[in-house]
Amino acid sequence: MSANSWLATGNFHTTYKHEQNTFYTSLDRSVFTFFLILLFAWPIFYPLSNKYMLVTDNILIAIVAVMGLNLVTGFAGLISIGHAAFVGIGAYTVASFCRTLGADHVMVTHFWPVLIIFSGLFGAFFGALVGLPALRLKHLYLAIATLSFQMIFQWVINFMSFFNQGQTISVGRAFWLTGEIGRNQHYVFWYYIILTIVVLLGFGVRNLMKTRYGRCLIAVRDNDRAADAMGMNPGLTKVYAFALAGFFAGVAGALHAYLYRGVGFDSFTLKISVSYLAMAIVGGLGTLNGSFWGPVAIKLLDLQVEHLSEVAKQYLPSAMNVATALKPFTFGLVIVLFLMFEPRGIANWWRITKSYTKLWPFRY
Amino acid sequence: MKSKKAVLFNVLLVLVLMVAFTASVQAGGKVYKLGMSLAITGPTSDAGNPMSKGVEDWFKFVNDTKLLGDDTIECVIRDDQYENDATKRNFEEYLDEGIVFYLNYSTGSTLALKKDFEDAKVPVVPASYHEGNLIDSTQIFLPVATYSENIVGLAEYIVANHKEGGVPKVAFFIHPSAFGRGPLEDTQKAVAAGLKIEIVETVEHGKDLDSTAMLTRLQSKGVQYVLCHSVQSPVATLLKDSQRLGMTAKSFGEKGKLTFVGAHYTGGNDLIALAGDAAEGFLWACSYNMTSENNEGAKKQLDLAKKYGRDDKAANSHNYATGILMAQIPTEAIKRVKEAKMEVNPANLYKILNEMNGAKEYKSFVAAGPLSYSPKDHIGVDVQNIYQAQGGQFKAIKSVSSEYMKTIRAGK
Repeated sequence: MSANSWLATGNFHTTYKHEQNTFYTSLDRSVFTFFLILLFAWPIFYPLSNKYMLVTDNILIAIVAVMGLNLVTGFAGLISIGHAAFVGIGAYTVASFCRTLGADHVMVTHFWPVLIIFSGLFGAFFGALVGLPALRLKHLYLAIATLSFQMIFQWVINFMSFFNQGQTISVGRAFWLTGEIGRNQHYVFWYYIILTIVVLLGFGVRNLMKTRYGRCLIAVRDNDRAADAMGMNPGLTKVYAFALAGFFAGVAGALHAYLYRGVGFDSFTLKISVSYLAMAIVGGLGTLNGSFWGPVAIKLLDLQVEHLSEVAKQYLPSAMNVATALKPFTFGLVIVLFLMFEPRGIANWWRITKSYTKLWPFRY
Repeated sequence: MKSKKAVLFNVLLVLVLMVAFTASVQAGGKVYKLGMSLAITGPTSDAGNPMSKGVEDWFKFVNDTKLLGDDTIECVIRDDQYENDATKRNFEEYLDEGIVFYLNYSTGSTLALKKDFEDAKVPVVPASYHEGNLIDSTQIFLPVATYSENIVGLAEYIVANHKEGGVPKVAFFIHPSAFGRGPLEDTQKAVAAGLKIEIVETVEHGKDLDSTAMLTRLQSKGVQYVLCHSVQSPVATLLKDSQRLGMTAKSFGEKGKLTFVGAHYTGGNDLIALAGDAAEGFLWACSYNMTSENNEGAKKQLDLAKKYGRDDKAANSHNYATGILMAQIPTEAIKRVKEAKMEVNPANLYKILNEMNGAKEYKSFVAAGPLSYSPKDHIGVDVQNIYQAQGGQFKAIKSVSSEYMKTIRAGK
């Protein structure tokens, strides 16, 4: 352990217990606490319009989903291109309650924390189910298996009348201690709820990676035969990686249902699955903070491209339809550029920045 | 010295008062904020693009010709690229800006935002004519007859004009979505209520480039009429394949051949542009006045398009007419609220819209009939024309309104 807990220039672990700490230095802990207070406090001092609060909430939900995807694809190395379907499972769990009991039933409006956890568990169940092929399949073949799940999900939702054939199923307004959450408080209320969930799950992932279960994920990713030889159970590891990802996705889906006060098929298509994957890549696969950077970068990029399209279409002939192409073009370009020049994602920039500030004013 | 200061002070005071007075005269007219979100680019933009031009041109016309006196309408039109998330974001932005009226586009987003419309208590006119928009909704006002009215009306037309004996055999060719399926359910209800047609098969189309197998199958099952409810491009593919295979009826209901009919978004000039002469004989239900009718309404529509420099394609599009009507509804409501010496706000606009009936119904030059609303009826233009493609143009052959839909709705 460093002699000065504030100004450590490296990680000097003298005990295994110290290595298990969430924060290695007091500076780390203080910066994190300050940042957390800032995240909780800013809506009070700088209230955003509903539009931007919706965008913020959306980013946070994507963070929850991408944390799950990063567990299965980043840490465990199992490619999943059906993640939006798992998010959809969570959302449609809430929707199923609404269809069966009614959108304004007390179970939906008052017991929403229970429903959110239940949606996560349901997502985990389906995750484990879809993870079963991972016992036999690898790489591209596994990717195709998860793609099949995405297709099956889309077909079921689009054709089953119980799910309103993909049309929006309404979800009632949530209640809090102060009563019903009205339209004016809706987005801010869900901001705090989602932020709390992000923080809890973030700590969950961070702690998981310090346990043998977390290390198993990485060992299986690096070489599953070697992991097997060392006494780990690669099959079980793969299944619980999918189950964990399903849990995170299920929670994200339930939050999406409550935030939008409705569940529609459009929010869980293959296109959304690809965009989750893009967020994980751009953020940094196999890193926790990459799950935060990716959604922020992609969602804000989307918004800016939308604004750019608005401007572009005023000057370009409508027949050229450039505005239509701008969004997928920039999206594709960003992914290609990251894969080419920064495959470790934005998380690597963060790592470089952190190590620079840690050593400052010295160069090494 | 003191008097000099006093003079200077007085001069300054007069100047300030003059500026304030001038400013107040200039700002005499009120600005009413409206918002619209639609697909100007991306999927279905072939309909959304001319629609946005219709909305834009009508509001320009209102402001330029001082239809509301010194008051003006400021309508922000945003492109949502047919994505519900973007539509919701746009709607929230408009509410933040204090809109008094909102114009929406797709069936998906209208259904998704229905609860938001109710909460925000802002009157909404969508470009989607889905029956489901009106269920559990008070704020949505449909401009024209619904898709179900189109399809059930066409089915009634088939029954009335079917020359051979027996029950006409029909197949449905629909879009694989809520938009496509809605009218099918209502037609099934109409059949249960006594409409004498037999629905042999329902085809939910994908993105197929060839319909040979499907058309052959339909014909082998004895289908004579194909009821289409989708957008123009898949219908154009279907029509071209049917023509290539020699399956298209030369006259309505020709034995052993297929007669194609379709609802609002299947037809129009875009269909003719896509299908060419394969569209000949296609029957289309629409509540808008077509420019090919060459009547007074058509002339006004073309004049408006010319005034704002639109090309022929946009000017003659029924989607341009749709945009005009969507803009005319709030304009008329604002005008009437002003005449009633009430404040122009969402609540009063809602009230005045519900009173727009009887002697107070509104006649638009782009619609096939008068537009009326009441607290129990939020469908504007009930009349629909049945048009037939003849010589590269759609010509009105009959005005109809569905009788069975009244029965079905009463049973809901």
